[in-house]
Amino acid sequence: MKYFWLVLTLTAVGWYILVTAYVSYKGVADIKEMLRSLAAKNRSG
Amino acid sequence: MTNFNWLLDGSIVGLYLLVTMAAGLYVRKYVGKVDDFLVAGREMNVYLGIASLAATEFGIVTCMYTAEAGYKYGFAGATPGIAMALSMLVIGYTGFCIKPLRDSGVITIPQLIEKQFGPRIRWAAGVVIVLGGLLNMGVFLRIGGQFLVKIVGLQVTSFELWGYQIGYLETIMTVLLIGVATYTILGGMLSVLITDFLQFVVMSAGLIAVTLLILIYVGWDKLVATVEANYGAGGFNPFVNPDLGWEYVLFQVLLNFAAVLTWQTTIARVLAAKDSKTGQNIYVRTSFFFVCRFLIPGIWGIAALATLGQVTNTLDAMPTFLSTFVPVGLMGLCVAAMLAADMSTDSSYMLTWGSVIYNDIMAPLRKKEWSEKKGILINRMIVALIGVFLLFYGLWYPLEGDVWTYLGITGTIYLASISVLLISSCYWSGANSWGAAASIILAAAIPVAFLVLEKTPATRDLAKSIGPYYSGIAAYVASALAMIVFSLLKPRKGGEV
Repeated sequence: MKYFWLVLTLTAVGWYILVTAYVSYKGVADIKEMLRSLAAKNRSG
Repeated sequence: MTNFNWLLDGSIVGLYLLVTMAAGLYVRKYVGKVDDFLVAGREMNVYLGIASLAATEFGIVTCMYTAEAGYKYGFAGATPGIAMALSMLVIGYTGFCIKPLRDSGVITIPQLIEKQFGPRIRWAAGVVIVLGGLLNMGVFLRIGGQFLVKIVGLQVTSFELWGYQIGYLETIMTVLLIGVATYTILGGMLSVLITDFLQFVVMSAGLIAVTLLILIYVGWDKLVATVEANYGAGGFNPFVNPDLGWEYVLFQVLLNFAAVLTWQTTIARVLAAKDSKTGQNIYVRTSFFFVCRFLIPGIWGIAALATLGQVTNTLDAMPTFLSTFVPVGLMGLCVAAMLAADMSTDSSYMLTWGSVIYNDIMAPLRKKEWSEKKGILINRMIVALIGVFLLFYGLWYPLEGDVWTYLGITGTIYLASISVLLISSCYWSGANSWGAAASIILAAAIPVAFLVLEKTPATRDLAKSIGPYYSGIAAYVASALAMIVFSLLKPRKGGEV
């Protein structure tokens, strides 16, 4: 079981670092798209 | 003594708060309809959804009780995280319940429940959800305040103002709540999503930095040796831990499956997604975060055990350890990360429980349709009132007993019945209002009865012999059986289900 937790811990930390970097980068585009879409809705009445 | 430096670390925290407030207030101009306020116009995409879901479901209270689980049970304390991650992966991959839920275009779960069980059951489900949700959230502020006071090392607990003694804990959390409430009231889900994104970045940076610091300076070998010395094999395997066992694992599987399916703050991300496919993707891709959510603070708790040894107040062990372990500079990031975690959780929870009050408790009682403008105004007032409730319940009312039992019981009141109602309304056309009513009553009665047994001196030993896990399992099983039995018992009129 010790090795199970070692592998899970290393996977969790590694995965978290990668996901944080990737989501931080891609999330900005998502925000821009969401605000652009809402602004278009507001403009169209 | 603490490593928190008010000039350097305080500036980092201040900068974070300033940027968050500015971003939260900036997007309020995009709110035009009730749908924008409650589900961001259903314009949320996958990566923003991942950030928002992760930030919402990780608050200081989460960090505190998961670290306490690591401190008290070793690595076995992270079992609920594995149960939750697997539940989210399966539900996201198959679309079980969440696909029909998102495709129906509802704002809340009771709205879908009404289609099968009628308006009375929708109203009752709304009441159960709000009751369970608000009681659950009631302890967030106090726990968050305790963490912050401990980690910044406030030795003096109060100051005098106009002849009154004012507590630092109460002051810190009141100011924080006013800040969160301001942008949530003005921008609704839009402000919540934007600030969630910023908070996800800050929170993750802090969590990763502190964890790497622990793995480098405390070391993996010392963490494992500490767990082995204190808990033996039970520190690694929940099935052989005398305090946990199979009933603990089964309860966690039921609790977390139901939470992924029906916890309104989690499901709100699916409902705000562009479509059901996006909602499913958010679940699949965020699922492993829930392993991190339990395991990373759990390691902090084990590190506290390795450094401090056995302490009386296990909930305070982790912040006490961090206050002297994390160096100046990084401490500012750590405190900002925890503030980010707490603010994102508070804002989402206030908005979500508010949306159920508006959509399922108030709206069915109105005489005529409300205009969009009036709808937004009412939603804003509800969020403000929830903020007031949190202040008085969470800060000025002291909590007795341990946090996890409290959260588990208040959560089960809601989860055991609403999960059965949701599954039935999606997949069993024979389910009807008798079954739904019986399910709601039994699911609430069992955890409340256990709580009463536990608090009554004459029956305390009986409650201890039953234990919270058997009581929790009974609530889920009884709720499901009640739905089946009473649905079959209800006499059928022509064409009625």
